[in-house]
Amino acid sequence: MAVLRRADPRLSKFNPLPRILCCDDFDDGINGWTQLIGNYDDDLGQVKPMVRDLRPAQLSNCTFFDVGSHGSVDGVYALKLATRPRTGASCYLIKRLTYAARTIVQVECYFTCKAEANFDPALKGPQQFDGNYHPSESMFGDFTVGNDVCDGADGKRYLCALRYQNTDFEGRFVRKWLYKTSLHATTRMQVRGAPAPEDIHTLRRDDWEEVPGGDFPLCSNEIPTKINWHYLRWQFDLAARRNVELQVNDRVMDLRQIPVPAYPDPYHGLDRLLNVYFDVRTHLPARNFLFLDSVLISADW
Amino acid sequence: MLRRSHTATLELDETYTANFDTEPYECGWASEAAWFVRVIELANGAMLTAVPQWSPDGLHWCDLEGAAPLQLTAPGLRGRALRDFGGWLRLRCHLTGAAPRVRLMIHLSLKE
Repeated sequence: MAVLRRADPRLSKFNPLPRILCCDDFDDGINGWTQLIGNYDDDLGQVKPMVRDLRPAQLSNCTFFDVGSHGSVDGVYALKLATRPRTGASCYLIKRLTYAARTIVQVECYFTCKAEANFDPALKGPQQFDGNYHPSESMFGDFTVGNDVCDGADGKRYLCALRYQNTDFEGRFVRKWLYKTSLHATTRMQVRGAPAPEDIHTLRRDDWEEVPGGDFPLCSNEIPTKINWHYLRWQFDLAARRNVELQVNDRVMDLRQIPVPAYPDPYHGLDRLLNVYFDVRTHLPARNFLFLDSVLISADW
Repeated sequence: MLRRSHTATLELDETYTANFDTEPYECGWASEAAWFVRVIELANGAMLTAVPQWSPDGLHWCDLEGAAPLQLTAPGLRGRALRDFGGWLRLRCHLTGAAPRVRLMIHLSLKE
């Protein structure tokens, strides 16, 4: 089986577990990565502010104003997540599955991220272009990969979230992987009176801790129109309800000891829920982009 | 394989009281496009005019030649089919009237 996978260029760039649930090459289309929307009761006006404008998926040939089309890793198109040019705006795309066994699930992708080329001098950071550093590096906020898992009314619901925070909201570099320490404020919690959250993943903006070994920069490559693709592999364990590990290029972070908050109440209507998502958030009034060349989700059931 | 198609919701129950542009949307893979503007509420005396625009890069824009604007003076749905539109599309939306206000949905339906 491994030999067959190595012979297929689409699969040989991944390290899948035995059961491939989806191999999404975005040269073939959007492949079920859809925009998240919050819950509501017939009236769209009820959708909570944090989850009402999370932007549609795009198929991008990675075209830039200077060099034209960049293309993806081994094709033309990538899945593009694009924010509005508004401080705190996000794009959040989700793949909605259910699970067939409580085992290990793995998400792999090739990604790159950028702030849009911007000619507004008011948005420039304190550090000036020097031929290697470009101010657009500090105009990219953060992106997150995560899941939403619910065993059903007889089990637990929990969300893992791993964020690469490039800058803080003051534009200072952070360049670290973080994990969340509080619950995502569901519509149900807010209907019951919970305050509006400050972060789509957590109750408060600062409910994040550093992932051990997650302090490193990405390959931002000097100007906003050069994109370099990175390999990412993330495993989580449906039986233990925990993360397992996160790999970004050659760096592997052990996540087994990281706590994952679970909801105290059962959720009905989410039996064996297995959602996987990516999101990107801008910290400035500048569009931020996350590009995915391809995503492979596998399991060992 | 069947022809690929995709519908993107560019404005989801948004309310505007001044001119606005929809966000840049990449559509280089498609050969057919259709804009749909569904006005849910519109202030008395207001008019929404949505002009199809195209772009080489998502940063610089001009009107799409031969694509007539959509005009709405009351709640309802209007559509506009497009061909030969390059790699990026948006709508430049003008709101006129004494105290203009519109609540709307805007969709872009694309097909190979």
